[in-house]
Amino acid sequence: MGLEALIAAFFAVLNGGSLLYLMTGVMLGLTFGVIPGLGGTTALALLIPVTYTLEPLDAMYLAGGVMGATSFGGSISAILLNTPGTAPNAATTFDGYPLARQGKAGMAIGAAATASALGGLIGLFTLLLFIPIARDVVLSFGSSEFFLLTILGLAAIAVSVKGKLLRGLVAACIGLLLAFTGANQFTGDTRFTAGIDYLWDGIPLVPALTGLFAISQMIELALKGGSVAEDGGEVAPKMKITGVGAGILSVFRHWTVLIRGSVIGTVIGAVPGLGGTVAAFLSYSSTAQTAKDRDTFGTGNIKGVIAPEAANNAKDGGSLIPTVAFGIPGSAETAIFLAILVLHGMEPGPTILLQHEREVYGLIVALTVSAVGASIIGLLFSRVLVLITRIDVNIVVPVVVTLSLTGVYVLEGRMADVLLSVLMGILGYLMIRFDYPRLTLVIALVLGETAERSFHQIRLISDGQVIEYMFGRPISIILIVAIVITFLLPAMRSLPARRRRARPGE
Amino acid sequence: MKNFVATGLAAVALMTGGAALADFPADDNITFVIPYSPGGGFDTIVRQFAPALEEAMGTTVVPENISGAGGSRGGQSVHRSDPDGYTIGIYNIPGLTVNEVTGRDQGFALDEVTWIANLAVARYALAVKADSPINSVEDLCAGDAPVKFSDTGATSTASVTTRISMSILGCDIVDVTGYAGSNDAMIAVISGETDATIKPISSLARYLEGSGSGDLKLILTLSDAELVDGVATAVDIGHPELAKFTLNRVIGGPPGIPADVVSAIEEGLRAASDSDAVTSWAEGAGVDLEFMDAAETSAMMEDLKTFYAQYADIVGASQ
Repeated sequence: MGLEALIAAFFAVLNGGSLLYLMTGVMLGLTFGVIPGLGGTTALALLIPVTYTLEPLDAMYLAGGVMGATSFGGSISAILLNTPGTAPNAATTFDGYPLARQGKAGMAIGAAATASALGGLIGLFTLLLFIPIARDVVLSFGSSEFFLLTILGLAAIAVSVKGKLLRGLVAACIGLLLAFTGANQFTGDTRFTAGIDYLWDGIPLVPALTGLFAISQMIELALKGGSVAEDGGEVAPKMKITGVGAGILSVFRHWTVLIRGSVIGTVIGAVPGLGGTVAAFLSYSSTAQTAKDRDTFGTGNIKGVIAPEAANNAKDGGSLIPTVAFGIPGSAETAIFLAILVLHGMEPGPTILLQHEREVYGLIVALTVSAVGASIIGLLFSRVLVLITRIDVNIVVPVVVTLSLTGVYVLEGRMADVLLSVLMGILGYLMIRFDYPRLTLVIALVLGETAERSFHQIRLISDGQVIEYMFGRPISIILIVAIVITFLLPAMRSLPARRRRARPGE
Repeated sequence: MKNFVATGLAAVALMTGGAALADFPADDNITFVIPYSPGGGFDTIVRQFAPALEEAMGTTVVPENISGAGGSRGGQSVHRSDPDGYTIGIYNIPGLTVNEVTGRDQGFALDEVTWIANLAVARYALAVKADSPINSVEDLCAGDAPVKFSDTGATSTASVTTRISMSILGCDIVDVTGYAGSNDAMIAVISGETDATIKPISSLARYLEGSGSGDLKLILTLSDAELVDGVATAVDIGHPELAKFTLNRVIGGPPGIPADVVSAIEEGLRAASDSDAVTSWAEGAGVDLEFMDAAETSAMMEDLKTFYAQYADIVGASQ
């Protein structure tokens, strides 16, 4: 049944009009992805009213095109401007930007494009394999597993900040504090709102992340002056726009990184509330922690680009697992996909695959075409895009700041969001100046709410016997083991490493 | 044909309405405020009504999402606008009523809102896992341990309904809140995390035998009349007051809209509610349209306030 529907959906896309919607979606997605502050969620949220007048299937093509293309678009700005175009690309900046400064931007973009496309395909392929058992997968992930996954994420950030443990902890605690602002889902009371209505719903992610990643980086760039590719006032001599081919090949050479990233992306994608930022970060940190050449991560290791980008695109396939099983969203983007169905008078639920097979497979095909299409388009333009790094920052900064703050405003039409973005931008800039890891804060901010909520849930469900309850669930046990390994790995490794490395400093 | 009906209605309204009506609606757009983000139940019903309302009123209707602060921000924005009928909003009732009864400041008083109409009413039912041996509320509450229910937020209407109705029935429960959506709360029953859940019947339908996946079964509907074959009603179990628990999609505007303008909008909404486009959408989406005029809506609001005030201690209590 699935295969026939898939083939039918594929041929339906080839029909001229449908392809037009799909490619429009891809171009929109790339554009929204490239511009910091505007992401897939914003693009889709703005599109909802537009899709109202479209055929449901065309709406799916448009949405799928956008969803599949934003994350690659975002990697371009991450690599070229050290500013993630969308929050999940934050991990890509760690190695992508150093590569760009070494004049290897083409290579980094080539690798990001290939990893995005292949990661997206692997994620969707996994989804197709999982469709028959999607129900069981979703039912076996309960509050206990959600809680442990958030702890795994927090454990990963704790060990990832090498040499800056205290700073990492400070950043994570600020993130958790921000995450706990607003209405307590549990009691209905509001906390830390200082009497401000705006904070009732907590700190909204899009404005916060835009501030922390985009605005802060723009402040940094503006104060530094020159252009991105300039080092100490001189244009880096090796600033070449070549190496795209080498970037593409590097993904195949490091295929294990690609597979690992895609698997992490698919799994994290399937868990509502975690999302691409966590997936990309976990993929990056697990690759960096286990690689033999882990010391070169952060200085322009191509694997540091492949890992997050593969996870970032694979998460779209994963986030559809709860959707095909029960009609519930696995990510902010799939929530909007479901909203589009509702707007068209459909009622997504556990029978979604039976009743709305055409729309679901339409979306899957659109995502597939988009993941590959966006990468091809991106590669074609990469030679031109790299020139961005040579533009005077006095031109780049005002454009990016204006666009991203406009995007933040447009999402909900609230001026307070813009203010929050600016405040977070200042916070982010201070963190850059004083060398505190921003991504640590962000991951804690993303995970905090789910962690707290699911912990309360387990407490009630298990009648207070939290530990016993967790150990009674197989997937929970696997996750507990993963958490323990995450904590022990650096300690186990540091013993022989310390003996080997006699000279001081890193 | 529809234009003809609309013109007719406008003509009737004109004759009964008086002077001010002659210039309402003039060329101005009507802004229809939705206090939540696009894509939810409140957003969808407004967007479905908007084109039909445009046709009936002869002016452009612009749905505007002003989300935040659990729906209070949109409500406040409507409250502050001019009472000229060009700004109306949809209200989450009894969600806002409960907030007010429990003393949560939402920045405006429901008493002051000019109520215009009620568009839809959702009724609740209690569901358990389909293969569970439990077949009645009596079975459900017979055990020694408290019964576990699943819900989204502690202030959600479903959670409030659950806690009050089960306390009326003298059933000891724990309401596990924090599920991401009402679907997730129902899936928690299917996966066995919780024992039961109270949700609108239209949402539960997706999980029932016949209309959906067959994972859940109903053991009680919170209604007077039998809504689902063979499922006990509130009256059947001797607690007719449980039928008071509903989820309403109510339309209102800022304080002090002139009566003739109110009745013009009320008639426009009534015409929209009867239109083919809206009725066929409602049927497909499982929405129970139930039109009430301004007077009926105001009476219902008063009634709900008194009803929920009795239970302020239950809904205000934190776990």
